[in-house]
Amino acid sequence: MFQNCIRCTICVENCPVFAVNPLFPGPKQAGPDAQRFRLDGEEVVDDWVKYCSQCRRCQTACPYGVDCADIILRAQMRHEELKSLPRQMFARVHALGEVASFLSPLVNFFSGKSWVLRLLNKAGVSTAVPFPSYQFWTLERSWKHPGILTGRRERKVALFYGCFMNFNRPDVGRTIRNLLSYLGYEVVIPPQTCCGLPALGNYDEELASRYAKKNVRYLSPYVDAGYDILYTCTSCGLTLTHDYPSLLKVEGGKKIAENTYYLYDYLLSTLAEKDLASLSGALKLKVAYHIPCHLKALGIGYPLVELLHRLPDLELSIHDEHCCGLAGSYGFKAENERTSLLIGERAAQGIKESRADVLISDCGACRMQLKHLTGLDALDPAEIIARALLAKGVRLSFPQLLFRSHPSEA
Amino acid sequence: MEPVYDVVIIGGGMAGLMAAIRLGRVGKHVAIVSRGDPIVCLSTGCIDVLACGGNPLEAVGELPKTHPYRLLSTEFMVEALNDFLSAMAEEGLPYVGSPFENRKVLTPLGAGKTTCLIPQTMAHSTVSSDTRLHVVTFAGLKDFYPGYILSRLPTSEYSVFDAGPCSTLSLATRFERRDFLESFLSWLKGADITADKIALPAVLGWRKALEIKAVIEGELKRPLFEIPTLPPSVAGMRLHRALVRKALKLGVQLYKGRSVSTVEKAGRLVEAVTIEAPGRPIRVNGQAFILSTGSFVGGGLASSRAGVEEVVFHLPVYYPPDRTSWFGERFFPPEHPIEDAGIIVDKEFRPQGVEIDNLFVAGSILAYARVLRYGCGHGLAIVSGEAAASSCLKYLQASAEGYACSRTV
Repeated sequence: MFQNCIRCTICVENCPVFAVNPLFPGPKQAGPDAQRFRLDGEEVVDDWVKYCSQCRRCQTACPYGVDCADIILRAQMRHEELKSLPRQMFARVHALGEVASFLSPLVNFFSGKSWVLRLLNKAGVSTAVPFPSYQFWTLERSWKHPGILTGRRERKVALFYGCFMNFNRPDVGRTIRNLLSYLGYEVVIPPQTCCGLPALGNYDEELASRYAKKNVRYLSPYVDAGYDILYTCTSCGLTLTHDYPSLLKVEGGKKIAENTYYLYDYLLSTLAEKDLASLSGALKLKVAYHIPCHLKALGIGYPLVELLHRLPDLELSIHDEHCCGLAGSYGFKAENERTSLLIGERAAQGIKESRADVLISDCGACRMQLKHLTGLDALDPAEIIARALLAKGVRLSFPQLLFRSHPSEA
Repeated sequence: MEPVYDVVIIGGGMAGLMAAIRLGRVGKHVAIVSRGDPIVCLSTGCIDVLACGGNPLEAVGELPKTHPYRLLSTEFMVEALNDFLSAMAEEGLPYVGSPFENRKVLTPLGAGKTTCLIPQTMAHSTVSSDTRLHVVTFAGLKDFYPGYILSRLPTSEYSVFDAGPCSTLSLATRFERRDFLESFLSWLKGADITADKIALPAVLGWRKALEIKAVIEGELKRPLFEIPTLPPSVAGMRLHRALVRKALKLGVQLYKGRSVSTVEKAGRLVEAVTIEAPGRPIRVNGQAFILSTGSFVGGGLASSRAGVEEVVFHLPVYYPPDRTSWFGERFFPPEHPIEDAGIIVDKEFRPQGVEIDNLFVAGSILAYARVLRYGCGHGLAIVSGEAAASSCLKYLQASAEGYACSRTV
């Protein structure tokens, strides 16, 4: 609804790119202002839309209901010439992940070599932030799901884990599975593919639609059988709940969106107080919590804050003013490297000033960027909860001796 | 189990945030539902209490009896404003000034704006016509023309720093980088400034603005102050962010970017509001509710051919009945009867004309507030936000003790 724009500039105030990159005119001009001309079918001259990282802060901040980020995304997808090689590659991170995890020892070995990095730079890929290492025993590969289970328990959940957790941090996925089982849920892993956000973020609507249709087909039977779909990655979650029904208009997308929950929001709203009481443990730790932009965009509040407030010895500082700058694959493109790092430094500054022992964030990409920029250990929230439970004698995370352990745990 | 809060605040502007802070300080579990960022982000960051006379609190006595300020004692107003001052000091955005004294700050038009509490970066902002002022601006900064200031302060001078393509936001971000600050400083030192004071648009960084101000003042050996700018307003954003930080630290939950779609009532009580979220609406339950959605610009009131409507609870709204009388002859001075539109409340800030016990109203949505006419926007938001919060506390205590809540009309 660009007509609702009263040009108040609140979107611009919230744009992390506008604050560091003068080439981007800001969401007001790139969104509702330019949309008036785009609708007339005029020739597209606004290739600066490519500087938008789709963090969606503008849309979250707009008090008048203008969908600035969606408008910009549609404009981005109109630019054929912007569909460069690195974009096409990043649109397919799922396929890349399949290959990289299969060849993980090779990939992990070579992705640290300087000549490989130089080659990647030449191809337009930024190497400023170290690539995550790939795991052979992905969730997909190591976890044979039993299929739809009927009539066994009340609390049945199906986990939508997302590419990052699948290919790079399957150990966290296992911790989450153990946590849910410990709390009395019956967890299954339905077949699934990439949510489609990387394809959207790299302007490939058709590919995104294909992913979306596949996921709807995979997940629908689980919804029908009474499962709640839980997502762990806030960006996947936004795509499933917001983009499937509204932007991509996938058939059956509405049903998925209505039955899909954010893991921690779900835990907060379905667990009784006594269950939550078991989470409180003697975890003396100063934790900086970076709020991902897409959690803000979901509009579901900050459920983890409520959860973590119940760990009495945990000192929590909340950081929601800044985007991490990486924005999925945005920062991995050489043309965005400087913008991404300048944005990230602002977020990192606040976190460093909080003198936290450890950083947590719901989003794997935020953690990658901020770990690099702050030097702090960056954990998934499930790892903190697992630590709290461990202090109470409940072990959820196991050193995965059968699997390759993650290098950051070494 | 759906979330149940002690208090749910609809509207995350100045009034809502101050109410949340007051409630959070006494350990209440609070949620704020807001459709987006509030108008305070676009403001000057200065707190106008009442832009009349030398002492705003004294001038309150001269306001019409219907003005919401008249529902409150001076002591309460002072307490609320001091609460604001201490919250800001705790969040690293100290304010100067006293609730008993108005002062002038220099605007980008060179005029003096009457206000009361101001951010410390504007502490030296009061100038007289013979003040020798050195205004610094930035090449390509579209929304700041020193010419306006010079035309009113003829003894002033200006210089232009070329920082490349820039905006107020990008300048504030770059000022926090040491290399930028150093190059700016060495340029400024070369400008041979002899004026009494230095003035800059409000772009001196975000959290570090005071440090940066002190560094420049130390090098240049003269006072410096910021001039609030048009939106995007760094000074307004600093204020909003400091309020949100404080609220988050107090455990306040924020539901942002979504509007309320339905309200659930049972008898004389509001029980829950439902907010739109992707996928599935969220039901937010509360013991008590505060409505602080602002006036027309804030989005709390909407006008149509049928009249003026309050958009969330559909409370009765007062507005001048005859449409032809809504507006004055001239735009300035702002003397437009439609500014009276809003919710009439009782002493406890409960809306009048409806039978609801656990709903309180604060901020510019209050009837007869005339925020533009009287210059009382942020001040009214702060004190009425705190007043609604303290009525909430009284209500919660009474209902916890099991008394039927007596209603003062």
